[in-house]
Amino acid sequence: MMNMLADLQSFFAVYPEKWSSWSPDILRAIRTTLWITAGSFLLGLVIGLFLAIARLSKSAMIRNAATVYVEIARGVPALVVLFLIYFGLPPLGIAFDAIPSAILGLGLSSGGYFAEIFRAGIIATHRGQREAGHAVGMTPFQIYRFIIIPQATRIALPPLVNMLITLLKDSSLASLISAPEIMLRAKDISSTDFLPLHILVLAGVIYLAMAVPLSLLARIIERRMFAGLGARL
Amino acid sequence: MLPDLLQRIPTYLQVLLQGAGITVVITIGALLIAVSVGLTLAVLRTFRLPFVSGFVNVYVEVFRGIPPLTLLFIIYFGLTYIGIRLSPLPAAIIGLGLSGGAYCTEIFRSGISALHHGQREAAAAIGMTPMMAMRYVILPQAFRITLPPLGNYAVGLVKDTAVASAVAAPEILFRARNLTTETFDTALIYVLVACLYFAMTFPIARWVGHLEKKRSSWS
Repeated sequence: MMNMLADLQSFFAVYPEKWSSWSPDILRAIRTTLWITAGSFLLGLVIGLFLAIARLSKSAMIRNAATVYVEIARGVPALVVLFLIYFGLPPLGIAFDAIPSAILGLGLSSGGYFAEIFRAGIIATHRGQREAGHAVGMTPFQIYRFIIIPQATRIALPPLVNMLITLLKDSSLASLISAPEIMLRAKDISSTDFLPLHILVLAGVIYLAMAVPLSLLARIIERRMFAGLGARL
Repeated sequence: MLPDLLQRIPTYLQVLLQGAGITVVITIGALLIAVSVGLTLAVLRTFRLPFVSGFVNVYVEVFRGIPPLTLLFIIYFGLTYIGIRLSPLPAAIIGLGLSGGAYCTEIFRSGISALHHGQREAAAAIGMTPMMAMRYVILPQAFRITLPPLGNYAVGLVKDTAVASAVAAPEILFRARNLTTETFDTALIYVLVACLYFAMTFPIARWVGHLEKKRSSWS
């Protein structure tokens, strides 16, 4: 027991010692991780919104095209999409840097999930709302812009926060196409300092420190929403 | 151009399909670990022992908050620091299984809590022990409720196995990377890879959709 405590103590003693040499790289890497997460979240959000609306379209062709996109995006690993963009496109004359590739790949691939989240939100908004908008002379675009989307977004808020967590975690895949985010730096440092366990555990703790507050937020929003519903019922 | 393309596809597929076998092995192995961990933790939490429930909650938060890739690297590269050396395949199975355990805990927890509490009370009333109630009353019903989310988890898992390529487990994506370094035919090879993964996930996704439709027609 004493032995284990001493081991643990010496394990953690490495961190204050190494922090000054690790911190510049790590902090910059955290910023890159946040960029990739935010960029792919926004891209996925926009794609998902369009897909969700397209799937409720009157035209069967638009509907089917959107469904095919969603099925493929949800059936293919994000990592494969990243490889396809970063390694597969340059021979065809289209080359992106690692970070834009990561944002594009994660955005395209998460778009399918965003679409499902929004679709659930749109369906949950009562049909009468749409008819009411129609009755007061709104165009379909106005109905979406002022009636459906504001309400659907509220319903979709908890799953959207969960999606943000998923993208934060998936941004780690960008290290495999050499985007200089947390995991790439962690791997670099572990191969120069021979302290793989220390740096990788630190990487895990950094992800946790970002993910846990978000998952608490999702839970709080969910509870508030149900409380609101309960009061109304 | 086209005949040449058609000629290359079968040679690539031959290599990639060998990787698909490993992908299936990783998926099944990780699924077994994840379901066992999830079932155990979810059942443990129902006993409402303060220390145990706390442990379960921490496990779920930690393993849901850490990217599978990070966990895999901790297990494969990190543990060598304390003298534990795993081969790529077991490392991938354990890493994905442990992180999946957190998801499965949540799935089983919601499945168990979806059952009416009268079921448990009825079991207690006819003299079943809590363990028996769990085994014969709660779990069989909870399992049926949890099948669709478990199927969704399995789809996610098949996709997550791609990260095992980063620790050199010889699954689809790893073989594809080797192929591309020999042939530089990246676009075609990664499109084939995408098709292969899709061919594995789509049937599961379809099955889940079918289950959900059946369920919603009951209620």
